[in-house]
Amino acid sequence: MSLTDATLVLAALLAATIGLGGWLRWQQNRPRRVDPDEVVEPQRLGADALGERATLLQFSTEMCARCPGVHRTLGAIAAEREGVLHLDIDLTHRPDIAKHFHVLQTPTTLILDRDGVVQTRFGGTPSRSAVELELTRVAAEGAHV
Amino acid sequence: MSDTTHTSGARKGIDPRGPRFVASITAVLLLVATYLALTGLSTARGSGGWAIDEATLAERAATPGFVLLLIIALLFLWAVVSPRTAPWAVLFRRVVQPRLQPPTELEDPRPPRFAQGVGLFVTGIGLVLHLLGVPWALPIAAGMAFVAAFLNAVFGLCLGCQLYLVLQRVGVVGRPAAV
Repeated sequence: MSLTDATLVLAALLAATIGLGGWLRWQQNRPRRVDPDEVVEPQRLGADALGERATLLQFSTEMCARCPGVHRTLGAIAAEREGVLHLDIDLTHRPDIAKHFHVLQTPTTLILDRDGVVQTRFGGTPSRSAVELELTRVAAEGAHV
Repeated sequence: MSDTTHTSGARKGIDPRGPRFVASITAVLLLVATYLALTGLSTARGSGGWAIDEATLAERAATPGFVLLLIIALLFLWAVVSPRTAPWAVLFRRVVQPRLQPPTELEDPRPPRFAQGVGLFVTGIGLVLHLLGVPWALPIAAGMAFVAAFLNAVFGLCLGCQLYLVLQRVGVVGRPAAV
């Protein structure tokens, strides 16, 4: 391959990588509304109860570099708001839970409403404001019913 | 937060900027390796076929792209076997970290180590296939490893983390479910 061709391939590789990175980052801050047919039972996850107003359900693994950061962010959000609980489930030894919730990447964060219904799903490391916006929406919707 | 940041022996985690620094250097090296592999024997056309088909094992191993990717793979291996003594990690601790603010949070050292293992796996496959005479194996492996290292260095994205759960679900890594 000539030097010019190789440079072009390299430039294309670099551009594609930057594009992929930008897309993945955009994707992480985009909440996905989930069909509200999934009701989470806290006992199945090894928790006593869910939050009174909403629950931030985080899935992590041992080999996840971004999970501790997301844990801190979600923990801080839950601490600030009354009735909001943060649960962090380690999927390393629980592939059954991963399969049940179709978790293919960690961290994955689900926002549950007061009844334990899955309302929103974030894949990756969402920004604090993106989570807070969704949490406000979920908590407010629950209050009207 | 407890004050354990600079007592290297006793602390629980690692500075999260360390793996990103290592990933930056690795990404640059892998980009150079991809370039060398693209311009070298791996993609060259010979008389009526791939030039690599007619090359001997020694000739395949002596190409600049192969040598550089082999060095990168050995550095991955070093980081998997002994993360604390790996050259880039030492460079970070000796030269870069003293010039930075103390880290605000520490990170689990296992995920970056797993990611280095993924890097070793990908580059290793490229090296072996190249030695076996597969055209394009070298630049494709180097390019794939580059994408992962670049995404980690620039965007803080960790492809190994995403991969871990997928590998676990198909049963390649991890332990069975404790019911």
